[in-house]
Amino acid sequence: MAAQDFNILLATDSYKITHYKQYPPNVSKVYSYFECRRKRGGTQFSEIVFFGLQYLLKKYLSGRVITEEKIQEAKVFYQMHFRQTVFDEEGWRKVLEKYDGRLPIRIKAVPEGKIIPRGNVLFTVENTDPDFFWLTNYIETMLVQMWYPISVATISREFKKILAKHLKATSGSLEGLDFKLHDFGYRGVSSQESAALGGAAHLVNFCSTDTVAGLLMAQRYYGCPMAGFSMPAAEHSTIISWGRSREKEAFESMLDQFPTGPVSVVSDSYDIFKACRHIWGDKLKERVIERSEDSCLIIRPDSGDPAETLIEVIKILEECFGCSLNSQGFKVLPSYLRIIQGDGIDLNSVDEILEKLSDEGWSAENVFFGCGSALLQKLNRDTLNCAFKCSYVEINGKGMDVYKQPVTDPSKGSKRGLLSLRRNSDDFIETVERGVGKPEEDMLVIVFENGSIVQEYTLEEIRKNARLLEDYIAPSQHNQDEPKSLELHQKHIMNGVH
Amino acid sequence: VPLGSPVTHYKQYPPNTTKVYSYFECRAKKTESTKIQKVKYDKTVFYGLQYILHKYLKGKVVTPQKITEAKEVYREHFQDDVFNEKGWEYILEKYDGHLPIEIKAVPEGSVIPRGNVLFTVESTDPECYWLTNWVETILVQIWYPITVATNSREQKKILARYLLETSGNQDKLEYKLHDFGYRGVSSQETAGIGASAHLVNFKGTDTVAGICVIKKYYGTKDPVPGFSVPAAEHSTITAWGKDHERDAFEHIVRQFPNVPVSIVSDSYDIYNACEKIWGEDLRSLIESRSADAPLVIRPDSGDPLDTVLKVLEILGRKFCTTENSKGYKVLPPYIRVIQGDGVDINTLQEIVAGMKKHRWSIENVGFGSGGALLQKLTRDLLSCCFKCSFVVTNGLGLNVFKDPVADPNKRSKKGRLSLHRTPTGDFVTLEEGKGSLEENGPDLLHTVFRNGVILKTYTFDEVRDNAKIRDCDLEESVD
Repeated sequence: MAAQDFNILLATDSYKITHYKQYPPNVSKVYSYFECRRKRGGTQFSEIVFFGLQYLLKKYLSGRVITEEKIQEAKVFYQMHFRQTVFDEEGWRKVLEKYDGRLPIRIKAVPEGKIIPRGNVLFTVENTDPDFFWLTNYIETMLVQMWYPISVATISREFKKILAKHLKATSGSLEGLDFKLHDFGYRGVSSQESAALGGAAHLVNFCSTDTVAGLLMAQRYYGCPMAGFSMPAAEHSTIISWGRSREKEAFESMLDQFPTGPVSVVSDSYDIFKACRHIWGDKLKERVIERSEDSCLIIRPDSGDPAETLIEVIKILEECFGCSLNSQGFKVLPSYLRIIQGDGIDLNSVDEILEKLSDEGWSAENVFFGCGSALLQKLNRDTLNCAFKCSYVEINGKGMDVYKQPVTDPSKGSKRGLLSLRRNSDDFIETVERGVGKPEEDMLVIVFENGSIVQEYTLEEIRKNARLLEDYIAPSQHNQDEPKSLELHQKHIMNGVH
Repeated sequence: VPLGSPVTHYKQYPPNTTKVYSYFECRAKKTESTKIQKVKYDKTVFYGLQYILHKYLKGKVVTPQKITEAKEVYREHFQDDVFNEKGWEYILEKYDGHLPIEIKAVPEGSVIPRGNVLFTVESTDPECYWLTNWVETILVQIWYPITVATNSREQKKILARYLLETSGNQDKLEYKLHDFGYRGVSSQETAGIGASAHLVNFKGTDTVAGICVIKKYYGTKDPVPGFSVPAAEHSTITAWGKDHERDAFEHIVRQFPNVPVSIVSDSYDIYNACEKIWGEDLRSLIESRSADAPLVIRPDSGDPLDTVLKVLEILGRKFCTTENSKGYKVLPPYIRVIQGDGVDINTLQEIVAGMKKHRWSIENVGFGSGGALLQKLTRDLLSCCFKCSFVVTNGLGLNVFKDPVADPNKRSKKGRLSLHRTPTGDFVTLEEGKGSLEENGPDLLHTVFRNGVILKTYTFDEVRDNAKIRDCDLEESVD
């Protein structure tokens, strides 16, 4: 059931209040779609993870979303906001009377978690009753916010590809991959709600997080009792509160308080290198060595150049604790000792750091990563060019394919007509326009109709849909004559270009 | 009670710690970063604390059910019993679930130079020393309304300067940057907070949620703090079909005869729309509109500056221009332009500078901004952070700080802090409790929250007044 005090009439761009007066006369259907457009000049993110629609449907769109009180509240509000009467009171009252406040809308969507190439339809929206043609684009504002969970899930998965590549290459296996990127983004995100949504999107790909709101969201909206895990960890205040001369006591206390299970200790409050060499590597060395693999100490640097700091730290730790070689011939620290780098991490720096580590002979097993704003905040609607556009209308009972095609920017051109999504004979996903798609091939599924959610997904299913495929893990195994590379894949997609 | 890693911190402070005192600032950058920023952001607008206090921290925030729920969640999450159940039960019993912390803050809307304390947080009960940093995660999210309000205000300064320079006055300045960001933010809640922050400086918005936040958490003497006008979107034009763009334009213009109406005109060819449809086919319809109800043409693609200049050039030809008192060209009052695509603080500067260079007054245009206004911002832009600076352990107060060898920018302040005005009118943060000395004058930080009660609130009118642009803010010359 949608939230009681949320007023959907106030959850749209102001100008949309005035659109019911702007459509052509006798329009009876407005059909729109959402995509992550392709940009010319090659794309960094060539495929996306579809995620987050179920949250919006459950929280804001399903059930009885219109009441007389809400209509009145909106009417009074818009009168003052526009300084004139323009709100379509009658139109909304009809929704109330005819459908008991439920939205006469149909939404068809790709199953959540599915990986779809850019430039394809991801969901479509249409009114199911001719009186409510204006409703389709009224809810655009809210639905376009899908850009966020899609983008976080996509970026998070791109991290996973990089981590998988290095882990496989330097250790021969993918063990522990799901814990390699820890969500540190709670404080750096713009609101509690975004933390929940972004946090949950990261959990499509990983299991480690400190963004508790994401866990709760996954529980309430995607049926997963516990989607992610964490470990006791220090922050600067719990170290510096001991005083500058007592950093060793602060560290030791951490080991005492948390004798079992992994524990992470931020070590750069004053001097990360001295802390590693003299405190961890000397004064507390015995205490560190007695910890088991399941209770490892994870040292956290938090300043300086991310790659250089990490290399220097790992070299100091090698001097103090030694290391061994794994089956691939790369160096691994003793199992009771690991490092987590949680400062300055983004897609570029992660790749760079693991590359440098590998050059120096170190396995990716040694390091975990924490990511904050780059995972949950440093994204916007342009990251994946997310857009919602009208592609088909019916006027006087006749259907018409519509589109925009600005001469000033061809990449902003939109798709035409009724759309469907299918796998073609070469096994590539493509969008079929102009209503010529075959229903039995359509990957889009009705998820919402007339106020009810008719198809749901659990996080478990979503995680399965979004898992990494072999292709990405060992790209060096591609043969030139095997046409499975992503570039070739792109050429077969006949959409986004008119 | 959903907060992250602070869960285990109660076990990590030194034994016999009875107070933890922390503060929030937008750190100044002492060293030059590798990326030279065009905009300096020397001062920040303090805004948004009242929302957090009202929504998340005041009153009874702990109940037995919440403690039980949290305990279960954290047991699964950490695969261990690390949750401080006793600590929270103490708060429930002794304070009826109210938070025993005290927050002192600068008045909302205050414009304060970087590197100064903006608010402090301390525990008021020796048993609850750990609570100070428990609330850190939620309080640090104030970075967002601060950053939106600050970035919005910097854009207001740019617009004010160029408007003054090219027209001699600042009429309608508050409507020159319209919030288009509702769909481009990460959630409904973010939309409300961010849009309200923009309204600290401006009055035009389409992000309705922002007005709701202001009404609920701040209050204004006027019925609403933000306004909008009827406007088209692509679907209301394209639904007519490619060959009927003129019919769409005409229909919409006729629907709204007495108020400004904005019509997106680039669905197929913005230049043809301006030249042929607006400039010829519908010209007399437009000319009959009053100055209070102009047609506002909206391009929405192409290079922002080039497009604006070309559109102005075409409209200038078709509708004639007059020269204002400053010698800049103005279109007739019944026609204006709004650029709402690709507008951020840098392109805004480029467009107004480009217009001035081509002798166009800024009176001719308005701007809309979406992602750049409300989403394309991070905590790093103003280096917002929360750090512990003072603790009491074994009855002794200790000034604490971090000072990482690899980054002097990350050094934190020490001891009890206060904010003062110097004799010359500047701001200074005094550390190590020095601010309590008489000679330093009053502390500008006021207690706003103590033990679950909000003690001081600000109306949105006060916030706007504190953040307003003064003449000295416009002193930077216009090139």
